Amino acid sequence: MVHTAATDSHLLKKDHLKGFLRKLAKEYRLVAPVRNRHGDVLFTVIDDLDAAEIELSEPPQNSLKQFFLPQQEQLSTYTVTPEGYDFHPVQATIPPTIYFGVHPCDLSAVLYMDVVFSRRQRDPFYLRRRHGSVLIGVNCNSPSPNCFCNATGSGPFLEMGSDLQLTDLGDRFLVETGRAPGQALIERWQGFFSPSADKDRAAHYQAFLEARGRFSRQVHVEQAIRQLEADTVEEKIWQELSLRCQDCGGCAYLCPTCTCFTISDQRLDAASGRRLRSWDACTFAGFTAMAGDHNPVQAKTAAIRQRFTHKLRDDVRLNGRPSCVGCGRCVSICFGGTDIVRFVERVCQGSL
Amino acid sequence: MTNSINEIENAEVILVSGSNTTEAHPQVARRMLAAVDRGARLIVIDPRRTRLAECAHLHLALRPGTDIPLLNAMMRVLLDEGLADDLFIEMRTENFLALRDMLNRLDLEATAALTGVELSLIRQAAQLYGRARKAVICYCLGVTQHVCGTENVQTIANLAMLAGHIEKEDTGVDPLRGQNNVQGACDMGALPNMLPSYQGVANEDFREKFERAWGASLPEAPGLTLVEMTHGGAQGPIRGMFIMGENPMLSDPTLGKVEETLRGLDFLAVSDIFLTETAQLAQVVFPAACFAEKSGSFTNSERRVQMVRQAVPPPGECRADSEIIMALSGRLGYPMEYETSAEVMEEIALLSPIYGGMYHDRLERGWGLQWPCWDRDHPGTPFLHKYYFTRGRGHFMPASHTPPGELPDPEYPLLLMTGRMYHQYHTGTMTRKSERLSRECDHAVLQINPEDAKTLGLRQGETVRLLSRRGEITLAASITGQVACGMVYTTFHFHEAPINQLTNDAFDTGSRCPEYKVCAVRVEKIVDS
Repeated sequence: MVHTAATDSHLLKKDHLKGFLRKLAKEYRLVAPVRNRHGDVLFTVIDDLDAAEIELSEPPQNSLKQFFLPQQEQLSTYTVTPEGYDFHPVQATIPPTIYFGVHPCDLSAVLYMDVVFSRRQRDPFYLRRRHGSVLIGVNCNSPSPNCFCNATGSGPFLEMGSDLQLTDLGDRFLVETGRAPGQALIERWQGFFSPSADKDRAAHYQAFLEARGRFSRQVHVEQAIRQLEADTVEEKIWQELSLRCQDCGGCAYLCPTCTCFTISDQRLDAASGRRLRSWDACTFAGFTAMAGDHNPVQAKTAAIRQRFTHKLRDDVRLNGRPSCVGCGRCVSICFGGTDIVRFVERVCQGSL
Repeated sequence: MTNSINEIENAEVILVSGSNTTEAHPQVARRMLAAVDRGARLIVIDPRRTRLAECAHLHLALRPGTDIPLLNAMMRVLLDEGLADDLFIEMRTENFLALRDMLNRLDLEATAALTGVELSLIRQAAQLYGRARKAVICYCLGVTQHVCGTENVQTIANLAMLAGHIEKEDTGVDPLRGQNNVQGACDMGALPNMLPSYQGVANEDFREKFERAWGASLPEAPGLTLVEMTHGGAQGPIRGMFIMGENPMLSDPTLGKVEETLRGLDFLAVSDIFLTETAQLAQVVFPAACFAEKSGSFTNSERRVQMVRQAVPPPGECRADSEIIMALSGRLGYPMEYETSAEVMEEIALLSPIYGGMYHDRLERGWGLQWPCWDRDHPGTPFLHKYYFTRGRGHFMPASHTPPGELPDPEYPLLLMTGRMYHQYHTGTMTRKSERLSRECDHAVLQINPEDAKTLGLRQGETVRLLSRRGEITLAASITGQVACGMVYTTFHFHEAPINQLTNDAFDTGSRCPEYKVCAVRVEKIVDS
């Protein structure tokens, strides 16, 4: 994927947003953050555009992970033969999908997953879902109390990576074109767009500055990265936090960049079954358990070590940036107070 | 709970007794840990060194079954050090003198020695608890599953009243209930001596009210308790049973007796979501709908009534419990024709004063309502006993040490405690169907202290034989300092190692709750022949 600089920008009046989405929904499946009747905002497949309450200012509870790497996915079916097993691939037709209203954190997460699932080995199951998808991002004007994307370099505004990138300027969106599919959409539906003026671009810059000032947390991710690389994180910090991890897996399941999975075979009857891939988490003891109940990772003292070293050290080595995107979901779900922000803060205290 | 779960987060001192909170009530433990982060002091009373005990400022590792002496010693310290709340005692309680006299006669050193906890630790715990402005006591089955369970709870109440730590926000006594709706089941009269809303069957006015509403006559004598029913023997007085969502063939003590009783019945019907060990003995099994397949309400530990909404239709022939009861009742000649669970709720509001203002249209908004909620305008009650106790004045019930029904002896030298683990739930009827949970732990383990393991020559993970006077099972040894020398611990989740074949059926004469927490056992190394 080649990134082109977002030099080209247009205006889309908010009044026209629904009309534009209606056109897109004719050719694509549409996924956007929708507030449901219980008040929760979730990325949802939209069947009825008029009934859906699209919510762009509140971060959705789920990320886009489930759409590209479902919580559980059937990879193949099998039948038992006298010689062994015959596996039959499962054909899945994934409709071309537009993901609309994606915040910079979640967008960065998809770009990270693209790397994980295509750099060394191409993962056909991920790629068939990712192929033909269009990402329409929206820059974030209202970070939530647990957000810290400013510290992970993945927000609150994004300069590249999406197909179209929207910025809320009050009564209108400034629309920057990123990659070719976005450009094509603008050209196809040019009636909805008007050229942007200097004052719009100034307003965009102003919005960026203001958004940066709205974070309620100062999380020094850089410091934690440096200490992990220098191997100066005190042993007792791992132990303190691991002791309090309650082993629910909520952090990994909600995390937009946790991509660990496990594969299991489920017997349906004596002659057949299916092979499933499902989310897994390195914090589970069973993730590393060996035969005879031996475990190289002692849950009580090191349950969270893999999680944080992977996100803040190993991925920095591999990709030049952490794979934590600062979305804050794990902060709000964590039972024990052992989330990544707590870790970073604890490491920073230790270095005082 | 006299408090709401969220209030725990604001307490200054949290005293946890007989609760493995991080494993059994993680949502409550999360508030305890949050409170600790805000500076609260955490005191854990538990014979085992649980995770929560490791996170605690004070861990009082008492000998199992010595809760009363331990709490009495704490109360004596409060008295001696002037930490009793005299005004509260004067205004809100009665029978204080009896408690005071009992405490003053106490030999502190000897009492501490009985519990196995250093007196200095008991003193510190009493001081922390007594001096706090806001303090909660959370307790669980480690307190109640003893022959003196009722007295244990009364002694906890004595302590809270002595320190004046009740009837305020963020301050109180909080028993943690183990199931999503066990509070609701009790509230609705699933107790042998109560009609819904704790209206005693012995009371004629209450009976008459329900008789009018139901158009039927009600018995005045209380029914039988669980263990009386499941341990009646093959020729017991009960000839037929209908068991719903309960698996006594794994969960009740002295399983041999349970099996004998159930097999001896003339007729057994079981309603459950899976074919449990109990359902396998039934003549008729009703497939029930699970929580996600029905609508209605659950009442949790903090007395909060919350809506549960059907997410998926029940598979196959499964039906909601209420539909099964209604269909049965109709065939038995008493038609029940409730069209929706909202209609049932209207009857609950009509007949149960503490649920008086709870209707589905109100429950659907927000996070439900906490009882007592007397009428439609009542906002619900986050914490209990403001201004006065339900019975008027709080009655001090002094108690002294009652030893467990069975203690180790030369033949069975180890003390067995039973409990739960994080990844399995109760008899495993649901959790053992999950591959991921089974990967975490799919077999029973016997926690045993390294010294005892050494004496027996055990290796980590070795399969051992565990025997009591009532039976024997085999399971894997887990050598750990979590249990003290002379004690072993395991869980009751696994039918392959049904620990309740070994447990004692001694029970609390008040609550009829069996003593799952203490019995005498022997561990034997299995020698290949």
